[in-house]
Amino acid sequence: MSQETPNSRPQGQGRPQGRPADAGSPRVSRVDASVASPVKFFFASALLWLLVSSVLAVITAVKLHLPGFLNGCEHMTFGRLDAVQRNVFFYGWASNALIGLNLWLLSALGRFEFRNGWIATLGGLIWNLALTAGVVTVLLGSQNAFELLELPRGLAPAFFVAFLLAALWPAVAFARRPTSQVFVSQWYILGASFVLPVVYLLTQLMVLWFPTNGVLQALVHSWFLQNFLLLWLGASALAAVYYFLPKELGTTLNGYYLTTVGFWTLFLFAGWTGPATLLGSPLPLWIQSSGVVAAVMLLIPLTITTINFFGTLSRDSGWSRSWNNTTLRFVAFGLVAYTLAIALQIVFSARSLNAVVRFTAFTAGQQQLLAYAFVSMVIFGAAYFILPRLTGAFWPSAKLVHLHFWSCALAVVGSVAGSLFFGWTQGAALAAGKPFAETVAPQSALLGTVCAVLFLIGHAAFAINAFGMLTSCSSSTDEGRHA
Amino acid sequence: MNDSHRPNDRHRRPRASYNAGPEGFSDGRLVEVHNQLARDKEEPSEGFSLLPVFVVFLFCGFGFWAGLYLTRNSGDFNPGSFDLDAPRAVADNGPKEFEPDPAKGEKLFVANCASCHQPTGLGVAGAFPPLAGSPWVAGNEERLIKIILAGLAGEIEVKGAKYNAAMPNIGAGLKDAQVAHIATYVRQAWGNTAGPVTDAKVAEVRKKVGSRGAYSPADVLIEYPLETK
Repeated sequence: MSQETPNSRPQGQGRPQGRPADAGSPRVSRVDASVASPVKFFFASALLWLLVSSVLAVITAVKLHLPGFLNGCEHMTFGRLDAVQRNVFFYGWASNALIGLNLWLLSALGRFEFRNGWIATLGGLIWNLALTAGVVTVLLGSQNAFELLELPRGLAPAFFVAFLLAALWPAVAFARRPTSQVFVSQWYILGASFVLPVVYLLTQLMVLWFPTNGVLQALVHSWFLQNFLLLWLGASALAAVYYFLPKELGTTLNGYYLTTVGFWTLFLFAGWTGPATLLGSPLPLWIQSSGVVAAVMLLIPLTITTINFFGTLSRDSGWSRSWNNTTLRFVAFGLVAYTLAIALQIVFSARSLNAVVRFTAFTAGQQQLLAYAFVSMVIFGAAYFILPRLTGAFWPSAKLVHLHFWSCALAVVGSVAGSLFFGWTQGAALAAGKPFAETVAPQSALLGTVCAVLFLIGHAAFAINAFGMLTSCSSSTDEGRHA
Repeated sequence: MNDSHRPNDRHRRPRASYNAGPEGFSDGRLVEVHNQLARDKEEPSEGFSLLPVFVVFLFCGFGFWAGLYLTRNSGDFNPGSFDLDAPRAVADNGPKEFEPDPAKGEKLFVANCASCHQPTGLGVAGAFPPLAGSPWVAGNEERLIKIILAGLAGEIEVKGAKYNAAMPNIGAGLKDAQVAHIATYVRQAWGNTAGPVTDAKVAEVRKKVGSRGAYSPADVLIEYPLETK
């Protein structure tokens, strides 16, 4: 970071990238200014929820090896805190941040100014109020037995409307953009923004409001989870990657003509992978097998993103340049994680392997690899790029950026590797017929706590930096930025 | 910063490794350049790239595998089959019971027999004898099976008309069950009312026939005289 090669732009940690270091305070373009308030709102709420989630994660992790910890009151029991932590992370942190990121990317790529930014802010307000109400309800002891659908069903309409206001309304505005050209990021954002409300609505109806019979509930729920992870979180983060790689490296994407195929095959097959997470369940065999086929067919979008991203990065010393660029360092980390996550998903949809890791921490590790090591790291990278352009301020501290990257990277590598390793050994022990208590490695809980603390440190560093910038007031508008 | 690139790029399409220059892309330029990339594939001067062809073959391979996997592991798309091992366990309990199937019989008849005997079973006057209402196909089933398996050559009288043509040993190339389906179909279609034929019976007759050539009608009649109505 400190050494600068002659052809790299002058850039250092803690400075917004892509503009000369000596240009004084960064200026806010008109396009950015038009979305600044909703995007800032979404990022600020995401940050607050991230802190809440990190604290809760530390508590639940400690409870796993010190069951007596904070045991005095029913609101702090593991079952409730774990559900709250999960929902806060996915709906509070990841979804808030991605709605903001998508909003910003759509306006930047479409080069249009939002006239009614307050509608998106209103959506964000409803979203966060609904989440708060849901968290309180779960803490008071009422939750549904479906992962990521734990919040009471009465809040679903609020989430639905909030998402329409915050994410679909910009999509409508996209149709009125001044230029007819479309970039791959825009497809992914629109795809993701249409997938989430449809899948959420149908799942709420079929699982919570008018529950279907028998295994169909589990099938619909797995469909929801895979869509949420791969097509809402995953596709939105891919949109950001497709933008930041060429933007920050200053070169075109490798094999750009393949991106259409990659987009359509991802959206075609990812939604079908749900049954592959339910292998061995009493689902009709053909549904399980089509899930396996869909998971394996993810090889097609994976091949294409590999050609696109790693092809681009391996040109012109792209790897070392992205290592020296705050945004790209996070994004490249996320890319490797994405490739690994999809590869694991493909390999472990094989029936024989899946039988070993089913019901172990292995699947949690896979989920974390996708949702944290890929999606969250990309969001961090994007925040380092976007927030200075919205606030017109620099990142206050370069040291905190370092601290953020290293503690989060170490924590996620340790946590994912631990889950995968201990999940696999536990699965093998269970398959060998050992009693359950003997299959649980105490080291896994300890490792989990260490990683949770590391996550908290990293997130705190990020939050201090970001709030320092969000609260600093500087808003000189530059009408001519690159437009 | 755009202006420094534009005059150049109007004449030269962006190449795969197009570089935006030291200041990077503006958002507008980023979209524009990639749009061009998507529109014009690659320049002829770049030579023929093997990558797209390779990728197409690879993806076709995935598709082929997917078809195979689904066919083999879908339990015949039966909503009641849940376990990969279950159908196999049932199949191992013993050979499947043969059940005469008129639909299969008709399909096999049309494919193997109907070119001479006609789909109507009426044959062709003066050339091929009819099967509908023929005493040769009713009665003892071994007679019919032998003719199908070994063929028939020589003058034959059916329903008062004389025919003289050679029938090849069609059944020699068919499985026992297939011959049984055909024979059952012939014995029960077009108003015929004889009993069905099983694949076990066909196997038994096939042993007797061995590798002998076509029967003459007289040979058949010695063994199995026509049952009078």
